[in-house]
Amino acid sequence: MELIRFRTLDSVGVFLCFLWLLSKVLSEQEVENLSGLSANPDKDIFVVRENGTTCLMAEFALITEQATLALPRGAEIEGKCGNTDAELYVSWMNNAYTFRIYFSKEKRTVGSDGKEKETEIWKINKVQLVYDTSESSHFINAYNPGKHTASTHRLSALVTPAGRSYVCTAQQTLTLLSSDHQKGITISMSDIQIQPFDIKSDFVFSEPYKCMTDQREQLEETLPLVLGLILGLIIVITVTIYHFHLKLTAPQSQLPRDRSLYKNIFL
Amino acid sequence: AKVSGVFARIGFQAATDEEALGFAECDDLDYDYRQGMRMDGVQTDDTGGEPDRGGMVEGDSHYQRDGAGPRGSQANTGTCEELGAQDKQKITAWEAGWNVTNAIQGMFVLGLPYAILHGGYLGLFLIIFAAVVCCYTGKILIACLYEENEDGERVRVRDSYVDIANACCAPRFPALGGHVVNVAQIIELVMTCILYVVVSGNLMYNSFPSLPISQKAWSVIATSALVPCAFLKSLKSVSKFSLLCSLAHFVINVLVLAYCLSRAHDWAWEKVKFYIDVKKFPISIGIIVFSYTSQIFLPSLEGNMQKPSEFHCMMEWTHIAACVLKGLFALVAYLTWADATKEVITDNLPGGIRAWVNIFLVAKALLSYPLPFFAAVEVLEKSLFQDEGRALFPNCYGSGGQLKSWGLGLRIALVIFTLLMAIFVPHFALLMGLTGSLTGAGLCFLLPSLFHLRLLWRKLLWHQVFFDVSIFVIGGVCSISGFIHSIEGLIEAFKYNIHD
Repeated sequence: MELIRFRTLDSVGVFLCFLWLLSKVLSEQEVENLSGLSANPDKDIFVVRENGTTCLMAEFALITEQATLALPRGAEIEGKCGNTDAELYVSWMNNAYTFRIYFSKEKRTVGSDGKEKETEIWKINKVQLVYDTSESSHFINAYNPGKHTASTHRLSALVTPAGRSYVCTAQQTLTLLSSDHQKGITISMSDIQIQPFDIKSDFVFSEPYKCMTDQREQLEETLPLVLGLILGLIIVITVTIYHFHLKLTAPQSQLPRDRSLYKNIFL
Repeated sequence: AKVSGVFARIGFQAATDEEALGFAECDDLDYDYRQGMRMDGVQTDDTGGEPDRGGMVEGDSHYQRDGAGPRGSQANTGTCEELGAQDKQKITAWEAGWNVTNAIQGMFVLGLPYAILHGGYLGLFLIIFAAVVCCYTGKILIACLYEENEDGERVRVRDSYVDIANACCAPRFPALGGHVVNVAQIIELVMTCILYVVVSGNLMYNSFPSLPISQKAWSVIATSALVPCAFLKSLKSVSKFSLLCSLAHFVINVLVLAYCLSRAHDWAWEKVKFYIDVKKFPISIGIIVFSYTSQIFLPSLEGNMQKPSEFHCMMEWTHIAACVLKGLFALVAYLTWADATKEVITDNLPGGIRAWVNIFLVAKALLSYPLPFFAAVEVLEKSLFQDEGRALFPNCYGSGGQLKSWGLGLRIALVIFTLLMAIFVPHFALLMGLTGSLTGAGLCFLLPSLFHLRLLWRKLLWHQVFFDVSIFVIGGVCSISGFIHSIEGLIEAFKYNIHD
């Protein structure tokens, strides 16, 4: 009897364990750090998955100006996805540093000439950096050792139409104010591609939306070619016109071209 | 008639030495005809433009072979008939002066206050000294064009720098000197043209940073304004551009000087140094010394002047004016900003004035372009495009003196070439410093003194020989130091680029 009971208890226990693991697997958000896949050595890729599919993808290279803190590989990632709000937390060095980005989606009315169009956009509305000044590898003789939080105030950055991913190769700089005596910390993100909402398939970015700097750079690069082509066209037309002008107004030659005839005239 | 023509020819050849071979560009038949007819006292239409001379012995400077200048634009076919028509196209001494001013008061004046920062009083002295030396070398270069004939009169036997070089190497290598000078001239002139395109693109880009137009796009726009230069036919029209250019330069000077004078109470007289910064000054030496380079244009200018006797006067006045303006500008600008003087003085100016100065600088760069371009076209045409197999390609000009359409195409191709070099060559200023220290120093200091010594050795007084030798030595030293520094600068720039 005890054997049977033991086996039943065992199997129930095993079964319960299995159920518990299964539920954890199913509901837990998987976060993966796929930084090994990116081409840029400073760039990191952060993915938040929910219900077996990706719901937030971000890749960027992050540097802080003052303390030259950089996101190392293998940082821990957490995230929350939602319909109108999303968050991404990256922490490293045993939670000594945490970098948090808060996204939000909203409707905007773009009014022009009395016609008002409602468009949906998403943006970053808050960025936070938690750092520990008692951590010896980056801070020497910190004035106020301990954990401090630096965050932005009233930020509205990376505004993108909904359903698209934001792409920017140029550097974007944000200034954060620290709780530590209101010190200013600047962080720069470069080589960005982020999509916090409406990811259609696993690990696939939706249609990219280029930032203004990139658009300008593209324009700057194509402009010389366009101008050069126009110039070449003008030159070809000018030379052709000149050629026909010469042909039409060619003077009649009065003197004999061949000078041997000269000799015959006078000598 | 024929017999007297033969005697006339023998007499002519006896009177001059072998330099008369230079005259042989005249067609032989033509020559026989004219000399024969003249001995008979018959005036013809063809020689109507020339005054009644005893014939062939002494020329005054009117009797010139075709070569540079307006003759290049008319039939460059070697007939002497067009010579009479040349007088219409000749330039006055004032116009020659504007051209020389265009050449010696260039864009580098903006770097002079920085030179004073590192050189102090020595820099000022060098500005004055370089003007004197370059005026002297210009005069001796033109003196090489003339020879004294048997009657003691000065005859213009050579027409261009190339001819002087050929005459110097005459016995053993009759064409080597000419080739060397040709190559040096073409490099110097084309690099100057490219520099103007680069500078105008750079200035426009810095003036309008908010527009999405990059420096390359501005260079293309600047070149489209310069394409009409391909239609330039005579030195007279080039002189008009040089006049406008000098005016623009004058306005820039006035603007900056007025601003500096408005801060006269702040001037730091005590900061002008007596010692020099050994590392940075050699580059400044290059900027000061090579900014007076006008010798390339002088043979052609002098040949096209209505009264060549005014040449010396013109040289002196233009160099004095350049020296005074440059010295004043450099000193006053340095005194205003003292240690904060930047490499290009416009960076020190406040926003409003800087915008205006930039606009005038761009205008100056564009208006300076026609002179070296025209000179480059002339040099190329003379060396590569002549009639009857004298050179590699057929003549660019048709029978009526009209430019053929493929000639026009080639000129426009040269403009486009300068544009492409301006866009695609990196670190152009350093490269220009490199070639400038070789070709610029060579054509301005080394070669004139060398040729002067070689050709006029018998007639030189001791102090002239001393000047020539010392100029040669100083020029050599400047050239070598400039070359070394440019190489160093280029290597550093490329290393920085690779690491970037």
